[in-house]
Amino acid sequence: MQSVLQVIGASVAFGGVHALDDISIDFKPGKITGIIGPNGAGKTTLLNVICGMTPATSGEVLLNGTRLTGMKPSRIAGLGLRRTFQASQLFAGMTVLENMMVGLHLMSSSGLAGAVFRTTKMRTEEAEMRRRAMEALDYVGFAHFADRPGSALSFGQQRIVEIARTLIYEPKVVLLDEPAVGLSVNRVAELDALLRRIRDERGITLIMIEHVIRLVMGVSDWIVVLGSGRKIAEGLPDTVRADQRVVEAYLGHQQHA
Amino acid sequence: MLGHLVGRRAFCLAVFAFLFVIPFGANQYFLFVANLMILFIILSLGLNLLIGFAGQLAFANASMYGIGAYGTGLLMKHFALPYWFSAPAGTLIAMSVGTLLALPALRLSGIYLALTTLAFAQFTLWLMMHWTPVTFGAGGFVPPPIDFGSLPVSGGQAIYFISWVVCVLLFFVAKHTMESPIGRAFVAIRDREIAAQSLGIDLLKYKALAFAMSGFFAGAAGALYAGVLGFVGPESFDLLQMVMHKAAVVLGGMGSIAGSVIGGVLIVVLQEGVKEIAFPIEIVFGGLLLLFMLFQPTGVVVLLKRWLPGWQEPLHYAPRRVRRAATQPAPAAAQAGED
Repeated sequence: MQSVLQVIGASVAFGGVHALDDISIDFKPGKITGIIGPNGAGKTTLLNVICGMTPATSGEVLLNGTRLTGMKPSRIAGLGLRRTFQASQLFAGMTVLENMMVGLHLMSSSGLAGAVFRTTKMRTEEAEMRRRAMEALDYVGFAHFADRPGSALSFGQQRIVEIARTLIYEPKVVLLDEPAVGLSVNRVAELDALLRRIRDERGITLIMIEHVIRLVMGVSDWIVVLGSGRKIAEGLPDTVRADQRVVEAYLGHQQHA
Repeated sequence: MLGHLVGRRAFCLAVFAFLFVIPFGANQYFLFVANLMILFIILSLGLNLLIGFAGQLAFANASMYGIGAYGTGLLMKHFALPYWFSAPAGTLIAMSVGTLLALPALRLSGIYLALTTLAFAQFTLWLMMHWTPVTFGAGGFVPPPIDFGSLPVSGGQAIYFISWVVCVLLFFVAKHTMESPIGRAFVAIRDREIAAQSLGIDLLKYKALAFAMSGFFAGAAGALYAGVLGFVGPESFDLLQMVMHKAAVVLGGMGSIAGSVIGGVLIVVLQEGVKEIAFPIEIVFGGLLLLFMLFQPTGVVVLLKRWLPGWQEPLHYAPRRVRRAATQPAPAAAQAGED
């Protein structure tokens, strides 16, 4: 199967410290890939390199064969690669609906003049954005929150809205940085179901960093394990779980234990 | 009952209607004060786009105001160009200089951007005071009188009506832009710059636009000011002026268009009132700015929203500190975030 996203020999060095050391991963389309590893393994750095927020010292990232290296994050977002963050990133000065509409920002093409003169084109685009934003909120069952301020939602609800906001622009790949962080057990179950729906109904490729092992092992089609900036192992969840190198990365060597 | 009738629309309409009828009854002094109100509405609208909506803490608005005034006056004085040409040219010069300030804003934010822009403001003030061959130095200069040609009114009234028209036009420019994807992009950059980028918002483009628009507004106000006062001097564009612009935005309401109209009028009323009782104006505005920042950072509009059921303020006002508190992740999340 053709890869939708390829990371080829990516390295990142902050001063003398190698946050990422020659990482190569092929991400298959329409699959959920879980990235796991102990703290400081370079997981978030990898996500930042993919979405253009941290420049790679060497190596490159390809999205459907297009080289993303050196592009601005906003440009990469326009090519259909979206992400969420560890901390909530809703815009508090907007309603939930407006937050969703920001996700469709690149749909608007009428510019400053269109806005100042309220052209028909601009108003048509606004209406279309509003409609699609409502539709996307409805997809996650949050349509009734549309006019609430983003900050009025609970932490777990904000996470769901953020995920919905990444989906709205019909992305090819969505990166999720610890989507289950701070969620209650029930919420994690809901998230599990939502991620499966996104993969199965929308065919979007999901790449997820997660520490909640039950979630990531349950929902992922493929697991990549990072440790100290290197790729330690990758494979099916069950294979990875049994891999001695992975156990060592998490728990240390047997003889020291 | 009355509360339901007083909305943002009705309020702004009333202010502009009131300002329109002023010249038909007021004396010279009140005409001048009302004209200042118009200029301050323009200034506070422009500055609000930049600091209230786009969240760029810049302190150079008084310089853009000054560059607009100096640009207009100097073109008239040195090159004998007519006002109808010099005023737009002065405005565009201010806008261009303002846009350049977006470059440091790409790398700096918060207090660092504030300091950089403040340094720039002091530099322009220095130029106005010491580059005597061009700017006529600390004493300022008197541009040639404006020829209003075939306009049915003349002198103070003519420049008043021009100011009024410019103000109403710019009011709609600000309002419509902020109710468009551009306004959402500004607020997104203010609230969460990194998330904004990840959703396709180009920081350079929108920061430059915010600086350009606020430079244009301040420049236009300056160009009008040169015409209103018939004199251009550096003391009109010093640090106190900057504090007054900032106070207009903060008192009215950051991130609120109606708030800027309120703030602009309020500041001029306060200024004239303070002059009346001969109290140091710096203390009044500095103190007010501080008090509002501490106790009512959302400005007067949010009070109005609370008191008047008809006042439907869009959410865009949420100030930084309140937002932080409201969107703090759960404790467990905060811990995980530190990993």
